[in-house]
Amino acid sequence: MPRIGLAIDKDWAWGGASGAGITVAVVDSGVDPAHPAIGAVDRAIALQWDRETQSVTTAEGPHEDLFGHGTACAGIIRRAAPDATLWSVRVLGSRLTGKGVVFAAGVRWAIAQGARVVNLSLSTGKEEYFGLFHEIADEAAFAGVVLVCASNNVPAPTYPAQFSSVISVAAHDGQDPFVLDANPAPPVDFGAPGIDVEVPWLSGASIVATGNSFAAPHVTGLVARMLSKHPRLTPYEVKTVLRAVASNAVPSNPVEDNAVSRRASDDD
Amino acid sequence: MVNKRAGTDPDELLRQLGALATALGPAVRPGGTQELLRSLTETARQLFGAAACSLALLSEDDSELVYTIASGEGGADVTGMRISSSAGIAGWVVQSGQPIAVSDLASDPRFSPEVAEQTGYVPQAILAVPVETPHRMLGVISLLDRDARRPGAEQDMALLSLFADQAALALASVDTFSDLGRVLLAALAEAAAGEDLVAALRRAAGQLPPADADLAALAAAFASVARHGAAERRLAVAVLRHIGDYLQGRPPRTR
Repeated sequence: MPRIGLAIDKDWAWGGASGAGITVAVVDSGVDPAHPAIGAVDRAIALQWDRETQSVTTAEGPHEDLFGHGTACAGIIRRAAPDATLWSVRVLGSRLTGKGVVFAAGVRWAIAQGARVVNLSLSTGKEEYFGLFHEIADEAAFAGVVLVCASNNVPAPTYPAQFSSVISVAAHDGQDPFVLDANPAPPVDFGAPGIDVEVPWLSGASIVATGNSFAAPHVTGLVARMLSKHPRLTPYEVKTVLRAVASNAVPSNPVEDNAVSRRASDDD
Repeated sequence: MVNKRAGTDPDELLRQLGALATALGPAVRPGGTQELLRSLTETARQLFGAAACSLALLSEDDSELVYTIASGEGGADVTGMRISSSAGIAGWVVQSGQPIAVSDLASDPRFSPEVAEQTGYVPQAILAVPVETPHRMLGVISLLDRDARRPGAEQDMALLSLFADQAALALASVDTFSDLGRVLLAALAEAAAGEDLVAALRRAAGQLPPADADLAALAAAFASVARHGAAERRLAVAVLRHIGDYLQGRPPRTR
């Protein structure tokens, strides 16, 4: 992985930060605020498809987690960003009919209401949603909202993880939540812990689980932490900083780091 | 009693054509899909050293997952079983489109207890991946208690996803052939004589869902070209082949 000549390390990126002042929306199956690993959930909204009116209905107010997965993601985010403000946007759980539209409406709600980071540990491979999610990815990027998406396991497009303006994450086998790898081959941007990770689940329990959907919230937590220290960063700058602090991209020797910086500026 | 001949009453003819269309798909679609899927789950079970492997497909209205094929522990009991697609690990997979592995199911208070009760087999671990085409979520393939200590087991999720792709291809091909009759119906509307019949056939074609309507439009356009003669038919085939060749070399997109 070629290095980029930025004098940026993890301490600059998020050292001493806790996610305070940053709102993170978990678009998933709901978040259980009673789970000891979660803490406060500031806002909760449930969206579903109404077959009669053929439209998305929303209900704001406390809701339960129907599967356990949203709680798992929220717990992972809390580890890296304990003071972030958490919102639960429930889009999973009702019937699959209209699911893509409900999913899209949930992301749009989070953007419109002022979330800075949105965790999307879900995806759709349906071609008919290509345009809709492309539009939403752009809306988020222009609004300065970082979308962190779980990538696909197979070499087929999945939305919105496929798009260049989002941060697309796959699982690597490390366990350190502050270590990520940068992936030189898009569309996956980063590898983060997602194999045999212990995560909060339903009824106050925890389970050991594997999947890209657990890797994405690790990055979401780090992004919240970073933004609480550097609130003016754009989504592209956030991605650049993550790339600079990735374990396979950062030189361990600071002297070499400076040399790289000098070479990079000589090239200009 | 008046013996009304089919063909004089458009609605009666349409009813018969509908019945023919329903029969035509299964008649011409490739055989052995069930056997292929059965072999696929059994191969996966052995390859991953798992206690059981199953394929569950979404019901017509997507509200349930129906266990269609299962091999290994509890396989006979699980086949035909229906569970809600709004709960459990398998439900989460079809809802989120994401694969998942859980290695200590006993800790999940809501892990499909009804499945374990009905089959008499209580798994410790599950690996479940979605089965989907670019147009539709079809279901989920689940492996129970795979041997996670085998060399290369860290690739199991990606590998099982490839099995799921194969299952999706087989199922999608069955779907295409099932719709063949209805596509033909729409094409007939273009070729038919008699206003009532054309109107009735068009009504039938108009009721097709959007994706099928595209195919129907293609068939109808082809029929209209074909009426001009053999040379025109060959021209249409050649043009379609060129478009096909061009699309082969282009990344997929929606519009």
